[in-house]
Amino acid sequence: MLSFAVGQALQIVAQCVGLVVSLMVIPPITVGTIRKIKARLQNRIGAPLFQPFFDLRKLSMKGETVSKETSWLFRATAVINLSIMLLLACLVPWLSFTPAVFGCDLFLIIYLFALSRFFTVLSALDSGSAFSGFGASREVTLALLVEPAIVLCLASLGVAFHSSDLCTVFSFTNTAPVPWILWFLAGSGLFLTSLIELSRMPVDDPTTHLELTMVHEAMILENSGTNLALIEYTHFLKLAVLLGLSTQCILHALMTRGIADELVRGVASLVGIGILALTIAVIESTAVKMRWSKVPEFIAYPVAISLLCMLIAVLRWTK
Amino acid sequence: MTLDTYEVIALFAAVAAILMLGTTHLRLNLTFYCLHTLAIAAETAWISYLSGEPQHLIAAAGVLVKALGIPIFLGWIIRKLDVDSDVGTYLPAPLCMHLGIVMLGVSYLLSNQIPGVNGDDATFGATSAIGILFCGILLMLTRKVAISQIVGFLVIENGIYLFALTQTRGMPLIIEMGLLLEVLVAVMITGLLLFNIKKSFEHIDVTQLTELRDQ
Amino acid sequence: MKVLIVLGILPIVLAVLSLLIRNAPRLRLFVAVMHWVQLALSIWLLLPLLDGTVPAVVYSPGLMLDRLGAMFVILTVFVIASASTHAVCYFAEEDIHRHSEIPSSPMRNGVFYACLNIFMLAMMGVYFCDNLAYLWMCIEATTLSSAALVFHDRTKNALEATWKYLIICSVGIALALFGTVLVFTSSQRGAFPEGSLNVSELILRANKLDFVLLRLGFFFCLIGYGTKAGIFPMHSWLPDAHSEAPAPASAVLSGALLNCALYGIWRVYQVILAASPHGFVNHVVPILGTVTVVAASIFLVRQYSFKRMLAYSSIENVGLMLVAIGLGSGPLFFLQAVNHSCAKVALFLLSGNITAACGTKRLNKLHGILKTTPLWGGLLALATFAVTGAPPFGAFVSETAILITSANRNHWPLAVLLISAIAVSFIALCLHIGRILVGQAKPDCHPFQPMRSSIVPGVLVVGVLALGVLLRLDTLVKLP
Repeated sequence: MLSFAVGQALQIVAQCVGLVVSLMVIPPITVGTIRKIKARLQNRIGAPLFQPFFDLRKLSMKGETVSKETSWLFRATAVINLSIMLLLACLVPWLSFTPAVFGCDLFLIIYLFALSRFFTVLSALDSGSAFSGFGASREVTLALLVEPAIVLCLASLGVAFHSSDLCTVFSFTNTAPVPWILWFLAGSGLFLTSLIELSRMPVDDPTTHLELTMVHEAMILENSGTNLALIEYTHFLKLAVLLGLSTQCILHALMTRGIADELVRGVASLVGIGILALTIAVIESTAVKMRWSKVPEFIAYPVAISLLCMLIAVLRWTK
Repeated sequence: MTLDTYEVIALFAAVAAILMLGTTHLRLNLTFYCLHTLAIAAETAWISYLSGEPQHLIAAAGVLVKALGIPIFLGWIIRKLDVDSDVGTYLPAPLCMHLGIVMLGVSYLLSNQIPGVNGDDATFGATSAIGILFCGILLMLTRKVAISQIVGFLVIENGIYLFALTQTRGMPLIIEMGLLLEVLVAVMITGLLLFNIKKSFEHIDVTQLTELRDQ
Repeated sequence: MKVLIVLGILPIVLAVLSLLIRNAPRLRLFVAVMHWVQLALSIWLLLPLLDGTVPAVVYSPGLMLDRLGAMFVILTVFVIASASTHAVCYFAEEDIHRHSEIPSSPMRNGVFYACLNIFMLAMMGVYFCDNLAYLWMCIEATTLSSAALVFHDRTKNALEATWKYLIICSVGIALALFGTVLVFTSSQRGAFPEGSLNVSELILRANKLDFVLLRLGFFFCLIGYGTKAGIFPMHSWLPDAHSEAPAPASAVLSGALLNCALYGIWRVYQVILAASPHGFVNHVVPILGTVTVVAASIFLVRQYSFKRMLAYSSIENVGLMLVAIGLGSGPLFFLQAVNHSCAKVALFLLSGNITAACGTKRLNKLHGILKTTPLWGGLLALATFAVTGAPPFGAFVSETAILITSANRNHWPLAVLLISAIAVSFIALCLHIGRILVGQAKPDCHPFQPMRSSIVPGVLVVGVLALGVLLRLDTLVKLP
C-alpha cells in the first residue's frame, strides 16, 4: 500500500520534472529547428539548433533601455505574459499528458490567450512608438478575425465529447467514436490559426526588417534586454503549445483506438511537433507574405474549416 | 451515432469542394479539385470493397484518371494561356466559401427529406453529395473565368456521381464508364475552345461574352 | 441487334471518311447521297415498326424501339439528309463569296461533316434507348458533337454562341443525370431490388416505385432535358446557337435536336403517367409548355435578327410539343414535331440563302426579296405560313388537334392562352417576314444559284402542304 503510494508520488514527481524540463527545452529547440530547416532549404548552413538558447542568454545579460514616457505596464507585461503562458503550458495537454489535477476548460484557455494578447497590445500602445501602435492595431484586427476559428475548432471537439474540458477531449483513452475527419479538420484549422497567432509567414514575416509590414515584431520594437528575452521565450512557448495542440488533434485523427503507453504518445507528440515545424519551414521558404488586404482571404480558410468542424460535430450529434 | 468510413470519405470530398470555393487562385482550385476527386475515387473503391463487387474497382480507376488527368490538362491550359487567377467574382471568394458551408447544412436538411432505404445511415452520403452539387453551382455562378466554369461543371458532375454511389446499391458499370467518357470529352472540347476564346477575345473572362442578345 | 449495327455503321464510316477526303465539294456531294441511302435503309429496316405490324422491338436489354421512336428516327434522318443536300449548295456559295475572314479549309469542312455524322448517330441513338442512362449519354453526345457545327464559322460570335451552348446545355444535362439517378434510386427503393432504368420495365411496375423520388427525378429530367429543348426560362442559349451556326446546321439543330431533347422528357414522363395518371405533375408539363409558347410569342414581337427570330419560333413550337407531351399523346407530339421540323428546316435553309446573298442577318436591312428572287420569296412566305400553322398546312392540323385535346381535358385556360399566343406569334412572324419580302430590291443582293438552292426548301414546303391536305383531324382527336 505504502509502496504503491510512494510509487504514485514518484510518478507525479517524475511527470512534474518532465514537464518542467520540456517547458525549458522544447520551445527553443522547436524554434531552432524551424530556423535550421529554413536555412537548409535556402542552401545555407544556418545557426546551430541551440541558437535560441544562446540568444536568450545573450539578451538576458544585456542592459535594458526603457523610454521614460512609459508606465509600469511596459515592464510588467513581459512577466505577466510569461506567467500566463506558463500557466497555459501546464494546463493544455499539448504533450499528450498533463500533470495538472484540475481540468482545463477550453474557454479558460481561449481567455488566457486573449489576456496575454491584451497585455501585449497595451504595452505596445504604452511605449508610444508609432510602429508599435501600428502593430497593435493590426494585431487586434487579426485577433478579431481569428478568434472565431480557434473557438469553434476547440468547441466542436467539445461538442463531440459533450465536455468542455480539453483534458477529457485529448485523453487518448476516451473511446467515444469521433470520426477522424473531425480531428483532422480541427487539427488543420488549429494549425492555420496558429500560423496567424504566431505571426508566421503568409500573414506576418518573423524575419523581416521592414517595420511597416510587421505585426508582432512591430509591437515589441521598443523592448530590449531581459525584457525582450522574456518576451521571446513567451513567444517560443506559445509556438510550442499551439503546435502541440494541433499535433494532438492530428494524432487522434491517425490513431483509431486509444494508445495506452504514455511513452509512445510522448514520442509521437514530439515527432508531430517536429513535422509541423518542418511544414512551417517549408511554407516560409515557398510562400510569400500576403498583402494586408489579402489576409482576410487567408483567414477565411481557418474560419471555414472551423465552421465545418462545428457543422459536422453538431450534425453528428443530432443524428 | 457513429459515422461509417464511407460517410467520412464523402464528407471529406464535400469539405475539399467547399475549400475550393475559397480561393480565386486557379492552380489552388485545381489542387483542391484533385483532392476532392481523389476522395471520390477512394469512396468508389471503398464501396466496391464493402459491397464485394470488385468490378467497381474499374470505376474507381476511372475516377482516378479523372482526378489526375483533368487537373493536369487544365493546368497545362492555364500555363499556356498565362492566367493564374480569376479576374473577379460576383461574390467575394471567402463569402462564397462560407455560403458553401451554409449550403452543406441546408443539404443535410434536404437529404433528410429523401426517404432512406438504409435507415438514417445514408444521410451523410446524400448530404455530402448535395453539398458538392451546391458548391459546383456556386462556383459556376460566381466565377468569371472560363476555367472556373469548367471546374464548376466537373464538381456538379462529381456531386451527382457521389449521390449515385452512396444512394444506390451500385449503378451498372457501363453507365459509370459512359459518364466518365462523356465528361472527359466535354473537358477536352471546352478546353480546346478556351484557346479560341483567348485568341479571339484576348482573355477568358466569359462575362465579357455579351455580343449576342436580342437587339 | 443486326439492325442497330447496320444503321450505325454508315454514320461512323462517313465520319471517318469525312476526315480523310480532302476534296471538299466531292465530300459534300458524297455525304448528301449517303444520307439519302441511310434514310432508305432506315425505312426499309424499320418498316415492320412503321406500318404497325410490330408494336416494339427489343434489341438488347436497354435498347428498344417502338413505333413513335421509329417515326422519329425516320424524321431525324430525313432532316439531316435534307440539310446535307442543301449544304452542297450552301457551302459552294460560301467557298466563292467568303463573308468571314477565316479561310475555308478542307480540314474545317472535314470536321464539320465528321461531327454531323456523329451527331446523327447520337440523335438516332436517343430513340433506340430504353435505358434512361443510355438516353442521357446519347443526349450529352449530341451536345458535344454539335458544338463543332455551331462553331463552324470560327467567328467571335460563333465562339460565344458555342461556349454558351456547351456550358448551359452541359449543366442542364448534368441535372438530367441527377434526375436519372433519382429515378434509379426510386426503382431500387420500390419495385426492383437490383434497380432498373429501363422505361419498359419501369412502366410495368410503376405503381410500386417510390413516387416521391420518381417525381423529384422527373422534375430534374424536365429541367435538364428542357434546357436542351429550349423551354422558356432555360432557353437563353438557343437563339444564340441557332443564329450563329451555318444554315444547314441551324436546320438540323432546330429540326432534329429539339425533338431528341423532348423525346427524353417524353420517355421519363411515360413512367410518371404510368405511376400516377392524374397527379399534380401532369398539370406541370402542359403549363410549362404554355408558358414557353406565350414567352416565345412575346419575344417574337421585338426581333432584330432574321435567324434569331426563327429560333424563337422554334421555342414556340417546342412549347406546343411540350403541351402535346403533357397531354400524354405521342401521336400529337410526333405530328407537331414533323410539321415543325419540315417547315423550320425549309425556313432555316432559305434564311441561309438570303443572309448569304444579302450579307446581313439584320431584319431592318433585309427587304425586297420578292423582287430580287421571286422563287425564294414565295417559298419563304409559304414556309412562314407553314410554320405558324396557317390553314392549308400540316401545322394547322396538329395545332388544332393539340388545342382541342387540351380543351377536352379541361385545360381551358391553357387552350385560350395557347390560341392567343399562337395568334400573336403568327402576326409577329408574318409582319417581320413580310417586311423582308416586300419593298425595294436590295442593290447589293447577289443570289447564288436561286433555282438549285430552292429545291430542298421547295420539296419540304410541298411536303408540309401535303401533310396538311392529307391529314384528317377527326382521326387524331375526338371532336366535340
